[in-house]
Amino acid sequence: MTSIRPNQIMVTGSNSSAALHDLRLIPISRVDAKTLIVRNHYSHSLPGGTKMSFGVILNNRLLGVMTFGVGPFYGYKLVNDATPDDVVTLTRLWLSDELPRNSESKVLGVALRSLKRDTSLKFVLAYSDPAAGHLGIIYQATNWLYTGLSTATPLYDIGDGTLHHSRSLAHQLGSHSIRYLTLQGINAKAVPQSAKHRYIYFLDESWHSRLAIPVLPYPKEDREMNGSH
Amino acid sequence: MEVIELPIEVLKEAIWNVNQLDAAMMQRLRVSIGKYGLVQNLVVRKVVNDYEVLSGNHRLKLLRELDVKKVPCAIVDVNDAQARLLAQALNHVHGDDDLGLRAELIREVMNVLPEDEVLAILPDTMDGLKGMASMGQETLAGYLQNWEKARAIRLRNLIFKLTQEQLQTVEAAINYILPEAKRQQGISPNARGTALYLICKSFVGKENGHDN
Repeated sequence: MTSIRPNQIMVTGSNSSAALHDLRLIPISRVDAKTLIVRNHYSHSLPGGTKMSFGVILNNRLLGVMTFGVGPFYGYKLVNDATPDDVVTLTRLWLSDELPRNSESKVLGVALRSLKRDTSLKFVLAYSDPAAGHLGIIYQATNWLYTGLSTATPLYDIGDGTLHHSRSLAHQLGSHSIRYLTLQGINAKAVPQSAKHRYIYFLDESWHSRLAIPVLPYPKEDREMNGSH
Repeated sequence: MEVIELPIEVLKEAIWNVNQLDAAMMQRLRVSIGKYGLVQNLVVRKVVNDYEVLSGNHRLKLLRELDVKKVPCAIVDVNDAQARLLAQALNHVHGDDDLGLRAELIREVMNVLPEDEVLAILPDTMDGLKGMASMGQETLAGYLQNWEKARAIRLRNLIFKLTQEQLQTVEAAINYILPEAKRQQGISPNARGTALYLICKSFVGKENGHDN
């Protein structure tokens, strides 16, 4: 198995529509999701705050993982009058290249339809990292709305050789406030991160009008924008 | 390469072996050998008049415990560096289980064998095995509907970060009202949360000019 980028449509593997039809999305434990993500996803990590984990099954083999979690703390504020309970963030998506072409669109479609039918969630957020060469093509192919580049949350350097996420630092030291940590004698520095492409998908379409930010055209690869191909 | 049975007294553990087994894993190996016997040959090489074990050092200890006289060994003719390389390869070159197929296999095993027997040999917890065996047994709709119900009734966290001095004051206030909170907590299983609620309710009431 090889790792694929979460925003790329599969172009390898068999092209069997029968195999695509046989794909199943099943609930799996967070432990199993983490095992596969750490082993196969390019990030090799599963963020904290995972709320739901799904596996992609083909012929009884577990060949993909999709996780939804809390995502950015203020993500819900992108939509007027929303609360944190109205949203989940698609945090990881990994599919084996043994799966047929278009598997990503298929499993994402199944997941979104299920969330719409069986939960009271109103919308889903997803992010793609341009620094890793990701545009979010899978979200474009499945009709998400593009809302531009998100404000990047910095990572924190406290001199231990590891860059810490604000949530993990707050868990470890009680706060990620530079001022507080400095007063405690810890030489903490915020390390800026690149902004990410942000997509939103409304499970409840009547909430679309509450979107507090403009919808923008999908980002394209530079070579397309430059007309060089 | 030849496979022959060697007297156990000529087999020597490799002093450079880096692979370690803790007591719990050693016990699982002991149970496995006791139940199924030695199903894999040891891999050894001749060193002067003895044989150095490249693969099977832990099994060798257990075979001595069991007072086994002869051990089937695959003999390889390799130098020091090749011996170490082969040992590493034997320990580390292996596949990963497909978790979907493993779930099916564990389900089949647990349908036939008692839990204790499975746990005595595999390095999993019972919860882990049961979780693995249940993979794919719940429908997506059922899972999401249960998730929705669970989040509707879950108690909400409210996290504060306090200095030591602030914490002492907050703790003192909560402890002061805790007996009353235990009487008034109703369906909430969390007395301290109820205590904090009563303090806040009292404050809000006073701010609004009500006497609570």
